[in-house]
Amino acid sequence: MTQNDPAPASPSETGAVRARSARDLLGRLSLGRYTGVLVALAVVCVYLSITQEVFLTWDNLMNIVKANTVIFVLAVGATFVIIAAGIDLSTASATAASAMILGLTLQAGWGIALVLIVTILFGVALGLLNGFMITKLKISFLVVTLGTLSIYQSFALVVNGGATISLFGKPGFGVIADFVNTKVGPFPLLLVFNVLLLLAAGGVLRYTGYGRALFAVGSNPEAARLNGINVGRVVLIAYTIAGLCAGIASIVQVGRLTGASAQSDPTLLLTVIAAVLIGGTAYTGGEGGVLGTVIGVIFLGVVQNGLTLSDVSAFWQGTVSGAILISAVGLGVLRERGGSLRLRRAARSPAAGPATAPGSTA
Amino acid sequence: MSLTSEEERVTEQPNAGSTPLVRAHGITKRFPGVVALDGVGIAIHAGTVHALTGENGSGKSTLANVIGGALQPDGGHLEVDGQRRTIATPAEALGLGIVTISQELTLAPTLSVAENVFLGRLPRRRGRIDWNELHERAREVLDGLGVHVDVRRRVGELSVELQQEVEIARAVSSQARLLILDEATSSLSEAATERLLAVVERERARGAAILMISHRMPELYAAASQATVLRDGRHVADVPLPDTAEPALVRLMVGRELGDYYRKRRVEPGETVLEVDGLTTPGGELRPTSLTVRRGEIVGVAGLVGSGKAEFGMALGGAIPSSGAVRVLGREVRLDGPRSALGGGIGFVPDDRKRAALLPTRSVAENFAVAWTDQLTRRGILDARGERKRVAEAIDRYGVVTASPQSRITTLSGGNQQKVVLGRVFARGLDVLVLSEPTRGVDVGAKSQIYQLMQDHAAEGAGIVIISSELPELLGIADRILVFFRGAIHGEFDAAGLEEEEVAHVAVSGTPRGAAA
Ligand SMILES: Nc1ncnc2c1ncn2[C@@H]1O[C@H](COP(=O)(O)OP(=O)(O)OP(=O)(O)O)[C@@H](O)[C@H]1O
Ligand SMILES: [Mg+2]
Repeated sequence: MTQNDPAPASPSETGAVRARSARDLLGRLSLGRYTGVLVALAVVCVYLSITQEVFLTWDNLMNIVKANTVIFVLAVGATFVIIAAGIDLSTASATAASAMILGLTLQAGWGIALVLIVTILFGVALGLLNGFMITKLKISFLVVTLGTLSIYQSFALVVNGGATISLFGKPGFGVIADFVNTKVGPFPLLLVFNVLLLLAAGGVLRYTGYGRALFAVGSNPEAARLNGINVGRVVLIAYTIAGLCAGIASIVQVGRLTGASAQSDPTLLLTVIAAVLIGGTAYTGGEGGVLGTVIGVIFLGVVQNGLTLSDVSAFWQGTVSGAILISAVGLGVLRERGGSLRLRRAARSPAAGPATAPGSTA
Repeated sequence: MSLTSEEERVTEQPNAGSTPLVRAHGITKRFPGVVALDGVGIAIHAGTVHALTGENGSGKSTLANVIGGALQPDGGHLEVDGQRRTIATPAEALGLGIVTISQELTLAPTLSVAENVFLGRLPRRRGRIDWNELHERAREVLDGLGVHVDVRRRVGELSVELQQEVEIARAVSSQARLLILDEATSSLSEAATERLLAVVERERARGAAILMISHRMPELYAAASQATVLRDGRHVADVPLPDTAEPALVRLMVGRELGDYYRKRRVEPGETVLEVDGLTTPGGELRPTSLTVRRGEIVGVAGLVGSGKAEFGMALGGAIPSSGAVRVLGREVRLDGPRSALGGGIGFVPDDRKRAALLPTRSVAENFAVAWTDQLTRRGILDARGERKRVAEAIDRYGVVTASPQSRITTLSGGNQQKVVLGRVFARGLDVLVLSEPTRGVDVGAKSQIYQLMQDHAAEGAGIVIISSELPELLGIADRILVFFRGAIHGEFDAAGLEEEEVAHVAVSGTPRGAAA
């Protein structure tokens, strides 16, 4: 300190610093940037609890949790990928493919423990394959995951001639059924599971070297590389985590459907990615987190539940979630525009993310 | 400082009789936790070059952004041609003939040079873009600036310097009434700076006003006829140039006497810390180069843009592929990337802060800690408390002015961003530091701090290589100076008593002064 001798901080400066740190505390609770979505969520909830008396019942709320667990698990994986400035379009297909592996192995009489391990490893392998093509072969993530979206779905159809595998009553299925139906006190086991998943993912993002490296890579891959981060490995792991989540999600899905369906739900992919983006994770990378993703999933889940309770045709649900996605992300962009145009441009500059980089190397 | 009350001296400036082209009155701008501008006034007259000076974070860019329509003031107002008005967007400013060339490049990297020069004003014929006309006109503009580049090339493939020149070409071709240059020269070589100054003079003679922001005093003295000085967001003084002596101007900026800002200490060099043997890049930008650096030594590297000096630094830091042998304290350093370089004890700070150093979406704290990830994690788990402590120490030691460690790095002024980028590498305690243009965009006070920090680290036993296009800085801080010419070292000088001309001669011609040509 002595040798630099910077101009002493003026009293007003220290005052400003103090005011700022109070603001930071609020910021650390991380509600600040979620305010918009949370307010919208509150409005929807109030509206529904007035118009639909079923809405606020414990059973209905827990139903929302159970019905959205697959989405949440996949959205956690997608959050990692999107923070790395990528996107995984194959996630719903990978879930269908993993579900078929689960169905076939269980049907073939494999032990349940082995079945679950194989299913999860299969999901991991699908994610690894995406990551390998993106980081080692340097093919654009859009091209790779668009390709595997089609391939993994096709695989799910091929393995059993397109037929659904019903697992109801099969030996071993009871474990999976228990997983999706058991309650711990008043709470579904799935809720407990979701909370644990949230803590684990949030912990990885916030308190591990990998989490830091992931944000750094998504923010500016060149700067990350120059600071000794193995960018390819970080990205590879992000896609592998997405694959792992697809494996886990397939187990929940099979449990809820009491069977493995070869055809993936066409709205699943949109819902997953929409939830992540609504939750404030930027598609340009380097920003966001799983807490926002939870909020995004709950928001879409509540709206969906409200539409169902209000007897609105299921056909409308796509319109509603699409509109919500555009307005939530759009509002975020507008808010930023209020800041500095230049800053925003800087953040989107050429090297700011693999969003543009891999495309040019493909 | 009593000069604060001298805002009214504006009226004593040349052109006092005429209405200023643009006048700002009592502009106040607050950001969360900072008052960036506090009642600042400035009057800019047509046909003059007006310098805007002050330390990093004093509010220069903020004022430029307010005038350029990129930011809205919280208080005060603007007058254009004596008419009070608001400038809500950069587009509106453009409509008024106010063109900004900012510190941050704003080019579209995937478009061609020509498209960028005429972005938003592409020449059309029958509704279609007239490509021939576009290319011709772009070539004309660039030729006029003395810049030689294929106008069809994608801007993203160009060097930072060429990109900056394209940005300048865009501004110049738009026949601006007020041209705002916010550190437009910070990534330009001396030759390109000369060219820009010639353009500035041409534009001024044409009747345009130029608001020039720069930390390079010689430029301001060469071009400007008056200077407005800001400090901590407040207007300090308006002074005539070049009649105000540099020490006096610096004193207004920093609020105290700066004295000799290199304060060069001679350190007795120790054992050899870095040995470079035949280092070369596959593309041939760097021909086989050898060098040794001893503990405590500061070696300066000079050369023109394209001389290979930048590649030399990047190759040492593992940023680009290279071959040859590099040893730190006798141990071989693998040349397969930044990770190996860091592991081998070589820290590298790249010259292009925005492209290669900043994590724009992350906090000040994370921008520091990204360089320390391996030191702060144990079995993959981050030591959050240790990180907070080290970040707080670094903010203090490197004099980073920030509202909080959690502020986004992009909310800091350019110079403070640079202190973070340097500090995170300094703080690793490495044996060798390779710094490329370490004081780019940094104010005089902070430059002096950075020079002291470099010398502290040298005194602690590091070997330092500093690559710079500012000769005075190399002469002031280095013990020894190497000059690159066409990819190889063509001259080596002891810095004591060395004259700029001797270095410049080798840089330009490859031969020492006085040698037969
Ligand atoms: N978007 C922003 N959000 C928060 N604070 C900001 C923002 N932009 C600027 N600031 C703060 O306002 C102050 C003035 O910044 P400004 O960029 O105008 O400085 P400057 O004089 O241009 O410095 P430099 O010479 O380093 O470029 C600084 O303290 C900076 O941290
Ligand atoms: Mg600035």
